[in-house]
Amino acid sequence: MSAATADKHAEAHGEHDHHEHYEPFWKKYIFSTDHKVIGLQYGFTSLVFLAFGFFLMMVMRWSIAFPDRAVPLLADWPWFQAWLDDGGKVTGDLYNMFGAMHGTIMVFLGIVPLAFGAFGNYVTPLQIGAPDMAFPRLNMASYWLYLLGGALMFVSFFLPSGAAKAGWTNYSPLATTTDLHYGDLFWTGQTQWLVGMALLISSSLLGAVNFICTIINLRCRGMTWMRMPFFVWAMLVTGFLLLLAFPPLEVAAIMQLMDRLAGTSFFVPTGLNVSGMSFDAAGGGSPLLYQHLFWFLAHPEVYVLILPAIAIVAEIIPCNTRKPLWGYKTMVYAVMVLGFLAFIVWAHHMYITGMGPAVSTFFQTTTVLISVPSVILITSLLISMWGGSIRFNVPMLFATAFIPMFGIGGLTGLPLAFTLPDLHLHDTYYVIGHFHYVVAPGTIFGLFAGIYHWYPKITGRMMGTVLGHLHFWPSLIFMNGIFGPMMIQGMAGFHRRAFDGGKAYEQISNQIFAEPNGFIANICEILNIIEPDAAVRMIDLNIVTSGSAWLLAVFQVPFIINLFISKFIGKKVTSDNPWDATTLDWATPTPPPHGNFYTEPVAYRGPYEYSVPGAATDFTPQFQNDPSALTSNADAHEESDRETAAH
Amino acid sequence: MAEATHDYSKHKKTYAAVGIALGVFTMVTVALGLWPPLDFGPPGPTASDFVLGLAVASTKASLVALIFMHLNHERGLIYKLLLFTFLFFAGLMILTLFADFDPIREQYDTFITTKGWLTEKP
Amino acid sequence: MEIPYEVTPRRDTGLYNAKLGVWLFLASEVMLFGGLFSAYVFLRLGVQEGVDNPWPWGVSVHKNFVWLGAINTVVLIASSVGVVFAWVALKERKWRQYQVLMYFVVACAAVFMCLKTVEYNSKLNHHHGIKLTDNSVMEGTILDKTDRIRFNGEKISISLQGALPAVLRDLDSDDFPEFTVTEGPEGTVGTKLDSASSFSSWFAENRRMIGVKLAEERKRYRAEGASGVANPKPVSVTTSAVLTASKPFAIHGSPRKIVGHSDTAVNYKDGVKLEGKLISDDVTFELHEVDMQLVLPQSQRESVVWNVINDEAAKQQFFASQSRKYQELVEYYGKRDEVIPVSMLRGHYLNVNFVHVAAEGHGHGEKEKAHDEVHTSEPKKSAGAGGDHEEHGPSRLITVPRDQIKFMGNHGPRYGNYYAIYFTMTALHGIHVVGGALVLLFFVVFGKKLYLKNPEHLANRVEVGGLFWHFVDLIWIFLFPIMYLL
Repeated sequence: MSAATADKHAEAHGEHDHHEHYEPFWKKYIFSTDHKVIGLQYGFTSLVFLAFGFFLMMVMRWSIAFPDRAVPLLADWPWFQAWLDDGGKVTGDLYNMFGAMHGTIMVFLGIVPLAFGAFGNYVTPLQIGAPDMAFPRLNMASYWLYLLGGALMFVSFFLPSGAAKAGWTNYSPLATTTDLHYGDLFWTGQTQWLVGMALLISSSLLGAVNFICTIINLRCRGMTWMRMPFFVWAMLVTGFLLLLAFPPLEVAAIMQLMDRLAGTSFFVPTGLNVSGMSFDAAGGGSPLLYQHLFWFLAHPEVYVLILPAIAIVAEIIPCNTRKPLWGYKTMVYAVMVLGFLAFIVWAHHMYITGMGPAVSTFFQTTTVLISVPSVILITSLLISMWGGSIRFNVPMLFATAFIPMFGIGGLTGLPLAFTLPDLHLHDTYYVIGHFHYVVAPGTIFGLFAGIYHWYPKITGRMMGTVLGHLHFWPSLIFMNGIFGPMMIQGMAGFHRRAFDGGKAYEQISNQIFAEPNGFIANICEILNIIEPDAAVRMIDLNIVTSGSAWLLAVFQVPFIINLFISKFIGKKVTSDNPWDATTLDWATPTPPPHGNFYTEPVAYRGPYEYSVPGAATDFTPQFQNDPSALTSNADAHEESDRETAAH
Repeated sequence: MAEATHDYSKHKKTYAAVGIALGVFTMVTVALGLWPPLDFGPPGPTASDFVLGLAVASTKASLVALIFMHLNHERGLIYKLLLFTFLFFAGLMILTLFADFDPIREQYDTFITTKGWLTEKP
Repeated sequence: MEIPYEVTPRRDTGLYNAKLGVWLFLASEVMLFGGLFSAYVFLRLGVQEGVDNPWPWGVSVHKNFVWLGAINTVVLIASSVGVVFAWVALKERKWRQYQVLMYFVVACAAVFMCLKTVEYNSKLNHHHGIKLTDNSVMEGTILDKTDRIRFNGEKISISLQGALPAVLRDLDSDDFPEFTVTEGPEGTVGTKLDSASSFSSWFAENRRMIGVKLAEERKRYRAEGASGVANPKPVSVTTSAVLTASKPFAIHGSPRKIVGHSDTAVNYKDGVKLEGKLISDDVTFELHEVDMQLVLPQSQRESVVWNVINDEAAKQQFFASQSRKYQELVEYYGKRDEVIPVSMLRGHYLNVNFVHVAAEGHGHGEKEKAHDEVHTSEPKKSAGAGGDHEEHGPSRLITVPRDQIKFMGNHGPRYGNYYAIYFTMTALHGIHVVGGALVLLFFVVFGKKLYLKNPEHLANRVEVGGLFWHFVDLIWIFLFPIMYLL
């Protein structure tokens, strides 16, 4: 923040103050149209959902690690009475319910709203120098639809049928035929999952329209395309992914809703039998159609999960290495290519559905292709650190950890991209490990980094460093403690849906491999498929994984404490730009008022001008006044545009 | 307020003409469906009927999009947006079908299905 | 700071915010309807002949409603023209003209929805089909809810956990029998329940009590397990009850709620079992057509449908008509194409196997013959306009035994994938029509204030609303041929 602009702020204060004073609490913080308040609403709601989703997973992990012991602490809760068995152990139904809802909540109610809704809402307009989103009221509607969808998902736990149990993918015909015996079909978990999804999708669509429109139309003077921070680019691509990929899932949800409520058979094949009885429907539908429509969204959704995290890291790394982002333009093109390819790789989730070889080849090719832009992004971030004098503050720690964690997640995906290894690995813990490496230590670390990074802008105080370290290091260790063993188990063939943690493998081992030279044991040895008791030897890893998961939960406590107490006792920031960053979000007052900027911001240069030779400081913000930079290039065009508008 | 004086009579004529053309094309669509002399190829809805029917519908749709929705006055941005939307829509439709009617697997499927009574002449 | 470009377009993009926003929204709508169109193509091409229901020909489904569809197309086009003219009127600052045009547009939307309702009503309430065990299909009307199972109940076995049993809604609340609990949890045996409300409060009370008891029992069980008792007594709480009625009560059970029934018992989907006496489960059906498309040609003569209809004359009529239709079909189309695909020869779309069966005494009447001839010599036209025989042609009443029925229902979304996607897409489109019309109505009813303040802003709004409206029109332009004609 230069002194000159600070003065202007002071001048402007007087005339703008009346804006904020007369707003009642509910209007300012509940039904607000201010993108920052909405961003915070998104942030808090999604953090609550993340915690809830994590809780579901902890219960599941108990069942996997100790299938024959009662769940501690929970057995006396009234709700659990209905779902635990007499001895207080987790039942298959409960496990299925928690499994399905863990996925749904984490993806649709946790990470996407936190990454896209919260960070996108808070930071994007600031970084492009806009006073707000293009459609503030639409923005508010988007949040409330999200909350309503989330509330329905949450309420569905308390219905007689419980919440959805057919996996987070909700594949038909299982999802169509589950819980059909309840009298009120509408108020069953499966149906509410669909209704909730329809609301969440609508919310995301409104959000996406708003983001894209804001980025395209509300960039401030001088903010040309190639001067936009990488974060904004990523948000633009994410917006397009949501905009164009979500509607097919909405179609799938509508069709499945029709299947459940109106008795249609979009996804019900002819001659379907359910529990030994012929299913009363016309038939002729295609379960595969559901999978296509679902994965047409759900693959781009993975990039919706990861792009904001990469973008946050791409803001934090140059700031803390005091070097420009290496290969900014390449990254921009890479993210666009990534967005495009994301739409044509979806069927690699469906290799074992019996697709033909020709189409498998197509999808294998595109899947391998999409790793190229991903690697470009990660490599650029890595090279950005080369030779820098790195400030290892807490956000930078998370950002640094993000790179190898996401790298592991990405690279372990390669075997899944090919049909042959996928036949073995499909539906094993390997897939879980791979995906979670991408989103848990990957995306969530990126998001934590973002919280630590922008916290001073939001509150005017820094988050505590000691608690930050206490949060980071154990998290790093236990994240790997959870997902590393999963990879090993997965390669040994552990199936992901075994609620008792693979007791069946023990049984098989005892019965079939009892004699060392038995027939099957010999065949296994001759064909060298797998060691007969490989899976059994991996069972104990369950305890490592589960223990790590619970410890990970414990070490989130420092973060929660830090998040709340730093607001009151954190170190006060001394300027509006505490990290000495270059982008426009740091040009606003702290915290930014409604309308963001007191004077109209202007971008005079690119977003990552760190350590420019000859400059007075090691950073040259975009908003540092330099009239020659404005008129010397393409902005002359926009300049005249301003004049016409004013006229 | 300078725009208020813009002359719209020419626009109005175009809009009316397009409206009438759309009505006429609707009649053509109905005729293609119901009037036997316009039914080419084998009976029932066959490839030729689909091509003709959808061609007429596409013509109508482009008239609506270009004239009524002012696409003919828009800049590249909207076109780019629609181009990508169309590409992804085509991808969704074609790849989904491709997955179910894989040319290599088709040979296998044909072998399976032609053993049945389907090939018998009535 | 105010949000820029709310009214004036931004120079480099050439768009004001709302217009860009609506185009983005329309892009997502393209993907929404695109997904449904993809589903349509996928399902239609995925029909396995001889296994799945054949995909019907739109014309033969809609019959005289094809014209309703055509009129609806014209109505929507007229409204589209209306919107652009309304926009021009605003640009020329003619408020009055704008008002009139906008009301015209909204009226068009209303007409559209009314015609749609007529169409839906006919399909949902007047057309039924019954598929028999060998896949032969009878088309007609199921009379007076005879698809329901009529049963005299005496005893109900219910579970006291979960939701209130669905059977309670099937009971006549005015003539509610007095129930006595004959088996059930401790202390409830002998309780008398004489109304629906007392039943449900009794149910709720017991459900709560059972919950409490279960919790206690489980606590004891876990405690014993933890303290090392070798074989703790397993949890046992009575959770079911049997109620006997003072007098037999009549039930008309919807087949969708019932999973199985015999002469003495009915099983509801939610696990409730009813004991008593079956009155009748036969379906009384007004038969219009017999449809043999799914039956092997060589087994058509032995089809179950002839046992059900039980009239040799009707059978003769069917096969005479069928062979005549084949002949004429080959004559008519043979000239054009040397090879007619197998499915065509089987009369997939032209209803060769789909024959109107007249009532006794009308078997070979002049009228029928004339009708059939029209049907085949000009197949498309007759199928398009020939639907009227259902209203006018004499039909026969038959009784269909329940055990011969594989599937039955009205021509609603349940009836097959064509109907499913037809209803889904047209309903979704209908929602768009209603939504668009409401927005346009808002612009004209509450637009005056904005018009006086900033007419350009209102014109922009109408342009943006109009864009959406044109898109709705555009979707219908594709829906009409795909659903009604192809």
